[in-house]
This record gives sequence, structure tokens and C-alpha cells, in this order.
Amino acid sequence: MTHRIRDEWVKFTFIIPALLFFVLVVVFPFIRGLNIAFTNWDGIAPTYDYVGLRNLQLLFTDTELLDPIKNTLLFTVITTICINVFGLLLAVALNTKFPGVNLLKSFIFMPMVISLVLAAIIWRYIYSDIFPILFQTDGGLLGNPTTVMIGIAIICVWKEIGLAMVIYYAGLQTIPKDMYESARIDGATSYKQFTKITVPLLLPAFTYCIPLWIGTGLRQFDYPMVATKGGPGTSSQTLAMYVYNYEFPYFKAGYGQMAALVLFIFILIVTVIITSYFRRREVEY
Amino acid sequence: MNTTHPAAAAVQVQEPRPRRKWSQILRVALLYLIAILFLFPFYIAVVYSIKTPVETAQSPLAFPTHIAWSNYAEAIEASNFFLALRNSVLTTVGTVALTIAVCSMAAYVIARNNTRFYNFFYYLFMSSIMLPFQVLMFPLYKTWSELSLLNTIPGLIIALTGVQIGYFAFLYVGFIKTVPKELEESAVLDGASRYRTFYSIIFPLLKPINSTILVLSALGAWNDFVVSMILVQKKEASTLPLVQFQFFGEYTSQVNMAFAAIILSMIPIMIFYLFAQKWIIGGVTAGAVKG
Repeated sequence: MTHRIRDEWVKFTFIIPALLFFVLVVVFPFIRGLNIAFTNWDGIAPTYDYVGLRNLQLLFTDTELLDPIKNTLLFTVITTICINVFGLLLAVALNTKFPGVNLLKSFIFMPMVISLVLAAIIWRYIYSDIFPILFQTDGGLLGNPTTVMIGIAIICVWKEIGLAMVIYYAGLQTIPKDMYESARIDGATSYKQFTKITVPLLLPAFTYCIPLWIGTGLRQFDYPMVATKGGPGTSSQTLAMYVYNYEFPYFKAGYGQMAALVLFIFILIVTVIITSYFRRREVEY
Repeated sequence: MNTTHPAAAAVQVQEPRPRRKWSQILRVALLYLIAILFLFPFYIAVVYSIKTPVETAQSPLAFPTHIAWSNYAEAIEASNFFLALRNSVLTTVGTVALTIAVCSMAAYVIARNNTRFYNFFYYLFMSSIMLPFQVLMFPLYKTWSELSLLNTIPGLIIALTGVQIGYFAFLYVGFIKTVPKELEESAVLDGASRYRTFYSIIFPLLKPINSTILVLSALGAWNDFVVSMILVQKKEASTLPLVQFQFFGEYTSQVNMAFAAIILSMIPIMIFYLFAQKWIIGGVTAGAVKG
């Protein structure tokens, strides 16, 4: 009996290191954050008061929240649609043999491995120096409050489309080739083959990709932070930047933490709904 | 009525050939064009990094007539490149080693013990995959400041490992469940301890998933911006992305030197991409597609 207990304990020691790091970095800060969200703490002072749901009330009545909501949704919609549609088209187009096909794949995936900071900086100069020459425009997309979110979204699409491409490409390899053959014999056009075979059988890849980009879009922080720092003015501020600004530069940690929690719950609900929507449509074959 | 005459069928097969060939050529040409478009920003970065300011102003797009290597010498000095490189290498190596060590062990007991107790930890780890970093950002910063871990490489390594544990443990568990149990059972019968069984039998079998985790966590740590930005403010511990971010704020007037700094910090990751491309692409698709 003591041997068994000893063995159970030895087993448990395997999980202890991971658990220690996880508790220190995720669990403990999360619980601490739950507590902070119900206070009026500025983030520095040794004392603070509990204010109940006042932060939540302030958050839902803050009209300055409307712009970050609009910006975040715009970014999410543009990037999710462009990355998935073009990523899928590229994967289908590159799913044939021709000279240089692997080289093209590595080129399109290449932006994915460089840091986002580098990507955003390079594009800042492309918008300000190169676009005026190529398209005879001035100021660039990032300098204009109405186009700045589109400009930032393009950077993200350029960088991440390769990821969608390789995921859809891997998905395409799981579809049995004879399905296309029998469809061709039945006289199905390539458009019909795409909509009737490729898309339904790629649903597991959609279930992965679409919630992934919706999730990263809704919590978007780094692209606008590096490309524009939220500017011009606050015209490219996202929800995650709103959280950051209140927690750090504005010294309203309690309020910022509540905003972070609301953002988390919102993202959780959206991704769960979308994931289950796609999962229900997956087919067995 | 439906059966076609053999000759007619032959014509049908023959006829669309030339059209298909042309459309295939057109499609390939279009794909090459798209790939060139994707490479264009890299071209701009390279060209800017080797031009003089005068030439940049005259013709931003053209390849330079004279290569200004001095941009690189200036960039290395002004951005303190080697310090940042050292910090990035240490952070990445530390995070990768720690991630593989702790995640593989934890995933092993989770995968092999389908009990309520271990499933609880599995779902606990998994729940962090959906958690936006913004929720942890401020309390983590406060905790790190109290533990004197702010602005230190070990502090950054611990944080980067912690935020990635959920996803990587999830990938490990999925893989370990496909590894047959027979080998380790006979080892246990032979009297080997659990640790010996794990390190001499299981761990070597995990090679494919270990390389996946290696490339994913290396890329994640090397390119991380958000976590490092919160936990590191001082130059001594700044990694390459942080230095780039600061540097561009300070040197917006010296574009060419700043681009030389960009190219410099891109070189290590490009070499890594050149050699590990297969594993990188295999790694990023690992969680997405089964089989």
C-alpha cells in the first residue's frame, strides 16, 4: 500500500514543474486580476478601495469605448476574411505541380517568421515613401484616420496569409484524390468540385482557422501599437490598447483590469459560438 | 443516349487541351507575380539598408549604385545590436529548453492517466489557450516587480514559458496518446523507475513532437513583443524586437541606418527558416489538421 502511494506521488512529481510555472504566470495573476477589477486602484498606491461593480458601470457608459470597438471589429473582419479567403485560394492554386511551386510556398510563408515589429516598421515606410511613387497618393494609409485601420490590417494580412495557406494546404492533402476523379468522370466542373468536395471536406481546417483569426483580431494589440501607437489621435486604438492605456499610462489599473475581463469574456463567447457552428457542419467521410 | 461515341469522346478529351495549357501558364505566372509581391517589402528593406540618404531621397525603389555598408556599422553601434542579440538568444534558448522539459513531463502523466485528477490539470492548462494576455498583463507586471523579476532574462523566460504551457502541453498530450504503451510497461516490469522509463524510453520516441515544440516555442520567444514589452523596460535585458521598437522611435530621421538594424535582426531568423522550414510548417499545422 505504501508502495502504491509512493508511486502515485512519483507520478504527480512529473506535473509539478509545469504546474509551478503555470500557477506563477497564469493562475496567480489571473486571480489577482479578478480582485483588482473590483477596486479603484491606480496601480501604484499601497491602498485601494473596493468599488463593487462601479468599474463595469463606467465601462458600459464610456462613449470613448465606441471607437476602439469599431476599430477592433473592422480589423477583425478585414483580416479574417482576407487571410482565410486568399490563404485558401493560394493553397488550392499551389496544390499542383509546376516548376518552383515549393519556392513560391516558402516565399509566401516567409513574412510569418519575422517579428511583427519588423513587419510593421517596414510597412510604415512602404506606406510613407513607396506608395506615393507607385500610386501617386500622398500621406499614406496610416496617416489618415479613416484609412489607418485598413493600412494596419493589410500589414497583418501580408504577414499571416502564409500561415492560413499552409494550414489549408495540409488540409487539402487529407482529401482522397479519387473523390476528385469520380467527380470529374461525373462531369463536375472545377468550380463544382471546389464547392462540393474541397470546401466541405476542409471544414476541420475552417474550424481551426476562422476562430483563430477572429480571436487574434479581437485581442489585437501589437500591430497598431508598433505601426501607429494608436494614432493619428486615437483613430487606430483597439480594445486591447484601451485596456493597456488604462492599466499603464493612465494609472487606472482597477478600471483597466475590468475592461480586460470583459474583453476576455466577450472573446470567449464569440469563439465558442463560432467554433461550435463550424464543428456541427463537419462531415465524416 | 448518354453513351458517347468513342470518337466523340476522344475529341472531347483532345479539344480542351490547348486552352487548359494556356490557363495553366497564366495561373503559374499569376502565382509568381503574387510571390514577388510578397517579397517586395523584403526588397525595400534590403535596398534601404544599403543606400545613402541622398540616394534614398532620389530613387527609393532603385537598387543603389554604391553600397553603403557604413549603415550597418552605425546600426550595430547605435542599437547596441550584440547585446540585444545575446538577450534574444538567451531568452529563446532558455524558453525552448524549459518548455520542452516541463511540458513533455506533465503531458506524459496526463496522457497516461485518464483519471479525474489528471484531467482537471489538462483542462486547467487548456483553458489558458483562450486567455488574452491583456487579462494577465497588469497583475503579472505587479507580481514580477515584487519578485524582482522585471528587466531580467530569467523573468522573461519564466513568463514566456508560462504563457505557452497550455498550448504546448495540449500538443504533447495529443501526440503521447498515439505512442504505444507496451514498451514502457515492459520497462516498468523490469523494475525501471518512472523517471528512467520516461527519459530512456518515452522521451526519445517523442522526437517528432519535440522538434515541433522546439520550432514553435523558438519562433514565439524570438519574435515575442507583447510579453517582453510589459516585463522589460531597460536596455540591459531588451531583446531584438524591443530594441527595434525603441530604435525606430529614436532614429526616424536616420532611415537607412534603422533599416540596416532591421536586416541585421532578420538574418538569424532567416537562417533558421532556411534550415528548419519543414519543421516550422509542420509545426504550425500540427494543431490544425489531424493525421
